[in-house]
Amino acid sequence: MSRSTALLCLPPVFAAMLGAQEARSIVEEAQRRTRAESQRYEGTLEVIGNRGRIATKRWRYERLGSHGSSKAVLRFTAPPEVKGVALLIHNHPDRASDQWMWTPALQRERRIALQDRSTRFFGTDFSFEDLEERDVDQFDFRLLGEEQLEGAACWKIEASPKKTRASQYTRSLLWIRKDNYAWAQMEGYKGQRLIRRVRYLDLQPVQGIWTARRLEVTDFTRNSRTVLRLDKLEYNVKLSDDEFTLQALRRES
Amino acid sequence: MIDLIEVSKCFDGKRRVVALDRVDLRVDKGELAAIVGPSGSGKSTLLNLIGGLDRPTAGEIVIDGVRLNGISDDELTRVRRDKIGFIFQFFNLLPTLSCLENVALPLHLRGWPKKKTEARARELLELVGLSARLEHLPEELSGGERQRVAIARALAVYPPILLADEPTGNLDSRTGAEILSLIHDLHRRLGSTVLIVTHDTQIAATCPRLITLRDGRIVEDRRQ
Amino acid sequence: MRLARLIGWPYARKHVLRTCLTVAGIALGVAVFVAMHSANRAILGAFQRTVNQIAGSAQLQVTAGGFGFPEEILERVQSLPEVQVAVPVIEAVVDTGLAAQGSLLILGVDMTGDRSLRQYDLESGEEAIIEDPLVFLAQPDSLIVTREFAARNRLAIGSRLSLMTMEGPKEFVVRGIMRPGGFGRAFGGNVAVMDVYAAQKMLGRGRRFDRIDVGVREGIPVERCRQALQAALGPGFEVEPPGARGQHFESMLRGYTVTMNISSLFALFIGMFMIYNSFQIAVSERRNEIGILRALGATQAQIRGLFLVESAMLGGAGAAAGILLGGVLARFSAAYIGALLQDVYGVPQNIEAAELSTSLVAAGAALGVVASVVAAWIPSRAAARVDPVQALQKGKYQVLTAGENRTRRLAAAASLAAALVCLVVGDTAEVFYAGYLLAVLTAILLAPALSLWLSKLLRPLLRWLRPVEGTLAADSLIHAPRRTSATVAALMLSLAMVIGFGGMAGAIYDSVTEWMDQVLNPDLFVTASGSISQRNFTFPAAFARELEHIEGVEQVQVVRHARVIFRGVPVSVVAAEVEKLAGKVRRIVMQGKLDEMYRLTARGRGVIVSDNFADLRGVRLGEVVELPSPRGMLRLPVVGITRDYTDQQGSVLIDREVYRRWWQDDTADVLRVYLRPGFSPQEVKRRILEKFAARHRLFVLENAEVRREIVRLTDQWFGMTYNQIAVAVLVAVLGIVNTLTVSITDRRRELGVLQSVGGLRRQVRHTVWMEAVGIALIGLVLGLALGAVNLYYTVEMVHRVAGLRIDYQYPWRIAGLLIPGMLLIALVSALWPSEKAVRGRLVEALEYE
Repeated sequence: MSRSTALLCLPPVFAAMLGAQEARSIVEEAQRRTRAESQRYEGTLEVIGNRGRIATKRWRYERLGSHGSSKAVLRFTAPPEVKGVALLIHNHPDRASDQWMWTPALQRERRIALQDRSTRFFGTDFSFEDLEERDVDQFDFRLLGEEQLEGAACWKIEASPKKTRASQYTRSLLWIRKDNYAWAQMEGYKGQRLIRRVRYLDLQPVQGIWTARRLEVTDFTRNSRTVLRLDKLEYNVKLSDDEFTLQALRRES
Repeated sequence: MIDLIEVSKCFDGKRRVVALDRVDLRVDKGELAAIVGPSGSGKSTLLNLIGGLDRPTAGEIVIDGVRLNGISDDELTRVRRDKIGFIFQFFNLLPTLSCLENVALPLHLRGWPKKKTEARARELLELVGLSARLEHLPEELSGGERQRVAIARALAVYPPILLADEPTGNLDSRTGAEILSLIHDLHRRLGSTVLIVTHDTQIAATCPRLITLRDGRIVEDRRQ
Repeated sequence: MRLARLIGWPYARKHVLRTCLTVAGIALGVAVFVAMHSANRAILGAFQRTVNQIAGSAQLQVTAGGFGFPEEILERVQSLPEVQVAVPVIEAVVDTGLAAQGSLLILGVDMTGDRSLRQYDLESGEEAIIEDPLVFLAQPDSLIVTREFAARNRLAIGSRLSLMTMEGPKEFVVRGIMRPGGFGRAFGGNVAVMDVYAAQKMLGRGRRFDRIDVGVREGIPVERCRQALQAALGPGFEVEPPGARGQHFESMLRGYTVTMNISSLFALFIGMFMIYNSFQIAVSERRNEIGILRALGATQAQIRGLFLVESAMLGGAGAAAGILLGGVLARFSAAYIGALLQDVYGVPQNIEAAELSTSLVAAGAALGVVASVVAAWIPSRAAARVDPVQALQKGKYQVLTAGENRTRRLAAAASLAAALVCLVVGDTAEVFYAGYLLAVLTAILLAPALSLWLSKLLRPLLRWLRPVEGTLAADSLIHAPRRTSATVAALMLSLAMVIGFGGMAGAIYDSVTEWMDQVLNPDLFVTASGSISQRNFTFPAAFARELEHIEGVEQVQVVRHARVIFRGVPVSVVAAEVEKLAGKVRRIVMQGKLDEMYRLTARGRGVIVSDNFADLRGVRLGEVVELPSPRGMLRLPVVGITRDYTDQQGSVLIDREVYRRWWQDDTADVLRVYLRPGFSPQEVKRRILEKFAARHRLFVLENAEVRREIVRLTDQWFGMTYNQIAVAVLVAVLGIVNTLTVSITDRRRELGVLQSVGGLRRQVRHTVWMEAVGIALIGLVLGLALGAVNLYYTVEMVHRVAGLRIDYQYPWRIAGLLIPGMLLIALVSALWPSEKAVRGRLVEALEYE
């Protein structure tokens, strides 16, 4: 018996409970499958403005740990006017992450405060929040059903942030592929209004982890689109903890 | 002494008023003449022109051999102060000056030394019978007395010509008669040429020459 | 009213000139009043607008006086749950170095979060650049300017703009252009936005912010958030809505406002005398007319009403002219005062336009009409009392009744007594001002009697000068006491004002000079900002040590100035190395012992305050003052009070160590440099510039330059006062012209008689001139005397309002200048009336009634 028929047999209340249970375990599974010691990639970002202008940026990304408790450094490599600007992110399982930005020309870092995370990530359609990794414990989930997306069957799950977690979205919708538990799409809402959609494209298994090599973000408030391409993607590379400190940030530049 | 040839005077207001219309007049030295006529006939205008207080629109005026046409204001003033004495209906005394000072004023203006001025002023006030009122202010005097002071002032330099514009017009008849006899008396004693503008026929009757004006023209000039 | 139109209008039309002159007095008074108030309002408005526009949607602002505070405070603010957004701000006004552009308000913000508070409404097309704060942040030379500013200076995206930074001149690149409106309108469009950390560097701020702008979390009352912030930060911080800055600013303007009010009051007073004068004359001139009206059945009340309505109309006309003129004046004065505030206080100013508000127009109109009606009250009463029978008799003159004189003298005596009582018991401001007013009133009441007496004294003198003309002139003065005394009173008031303000200015200059001699004795001043009154830039303290190694430098004293709020008023705190200071500067002690106060202050056990601080804030020797600092309230006793003109709101001297500890700051804005004997300041200045100018923003000012600057600032401060004096003198001159014109008309017959009995034009002219001189002389005597009294009150007022103790010194020099000056002015103002006197038609004059 498939899950959906089983759901049909149960009274609605239980169905909801079961739905929550179910949804959470799906997300948990997705999270488990993408868990890795570390990650590194070179990202290429293209911002397509509402007038069709394209701005390109490149960065190198290194992450130690994953989901919930991780540290990451993002270092811009192009264009030349932003080269060397780096972002240090400390994700915490129990609270919002700490973020610092390093500007080489000023030789100093600045803290990006919690409150500012709804702002867009440096002219892209990502917000600072979108760059954080979500931890399953920070949200409540509800399974809304199943949908076909890009020819693949997906679970459609609603995630709402728990009180302890500050988010710009009042709720978001996740589409997770049934075949490999990879995220296929995320939509962020403020009330009923759709703010942002992230599509996870070009799925490939890298070192056994199904990974989207192309992320497409659409900002519906501005009507612009950003495409992020992940190159030279590696998991479980050797990285040490003290590469993810402010001192390291300073040292590197 | 006084020669007017074809003298006209017009006033340009909203309406052009011809006050004097081509008047010819000759007054000899030592004459005493009355100028009469209804109000608005041009009596006062005639007197003002002769006195150099005003200038004619056309015609020629010669006073004691001086032709008034075309001379400067200051020259006119000099003619006036050396040759003419004025007596006004409203006396025109300076209220802030004593009788003596009022009489002395023309002499001061001529720059006479103080002593001489004062002596002359006393003499003049004595002449008009006011030697007891030297230090009084005009407002402390009666109308007749004020006119006496004004006459004394007019005589300050013993001018050859004395012009009186309604000298009794502001006085009761008794005082008026007194003033008139004073003028007659002075005319006799000083031998001045005297012109009196009046509308009082009684006064006019006392004068040897009677000039009658009407609408800016001399309609009658008779010696009586 | 109909009567007024029927009777009054033809009269006014016939005497157009006189009417204009009369109205001019009221017009000037109202103009000064309107101009000052609308200028004041414009300045306050501009300030408030700038504050609000810059504040964006910030609901609260966290400041700690002018010193700023360490960066860590930001996180403390951000961590509060009541706070939605908290962004750091650095704000400074810098010289652009662009021709005719003046100052640029630099706003340092953190672009990563700031846009939740401020709308950077950016020009489209440049969107990518603007929308990408990464470039903006990565390149510290980025600048966003307003479209206005860009247009004025032909700047486009990518244009370069050189600004002076702490590391010398640096090129900045325009990376964004803001659309006009909202934030871009602030400071007249002369606003530029840069990264807050770049601004720190550029302005030498170190790791400090000037301010934190706070947006309150939705649903939480602002006041609750304010309290939470205040509790979290301690009393050293001010947490206030942006509007509160306007109140602090207003308190700085207060001293100025008071002076302005007094000046416009004086001008109005003088104007009232002119009205009074004109009406007095009109009444005597129109006695005949009044007599006829009365004979025809007009009641006393109708006659009084006629004159009062006339005066109200005149006042209205004057007020209308005054409001128009005031509007024009306001533009100039607003710009002037704005510049002054920027120079003296370093407050950014950009006054767009001084607009007249309805309420101000109404107030001006009311002022004009009321003043006029009040001034015409006595003349109109006199008119009502005219006896119709007497009035119809020709050639009679009105005489001042003895009774009126006696009443006036009694009133004068009473008011003098009251003034003296106020002086003796007067402790509160109200009693003091009442005493001042009573003293002036006494003088006004005594003016007629005194001017009569002086005219009599003057008679022999004028007579001696020119026997006939002199006598006539003197008699005219004596016999028309009303005409004379009103002008004399107006003249007296304006001269008293000149003496009062002039004396005060002179005394302040003297005191400032003395203070400069005592305190400002370093050979060189090294500053980071271009002028000594601006503190936008600061040096790191280490720079002072480097400076000490320059050959010829004996000692460098590090000073840091800033404003902190003390009892609601921004006062100046001066942090200096007191021990070094003690060795060089002998301050002028008002209270306490110099060595003792230096010793205690140097040890951080007390503060030395300026005398104006003590007076204005009501602080006594030994009292503990509380200064807010980022580490909390600094409480130190006042160990000495010295004379100090550093700041008009008062200044507090603390030791640098105390400053470092409490404000956690080691920067300086002025370095006082003393040289070794034998070295010339020019030479050392050259050396300093050679060594540092390339890598440091610095200005080296020689002692004489600083003194000149201070004198210039003082000049500027008094500039407005001088203009007011000029207005007062102008009104007085108008008064003389008015009186003479009236006197000529009044005496037309008299002057005609004079001419008919042989007076030459020259003689008539001289009479008029001498009358003018006579009025001026009497006015001078009374004015210079009342000036002595006025100066006393002015000195007292300066003490009370500005807290400055200045010595009473009668300005003999000014008095000496006034005597020939006023006589000359009187002569000049007599020229026209005298011509009028000789030009008129003699015949008419003689028949004139």
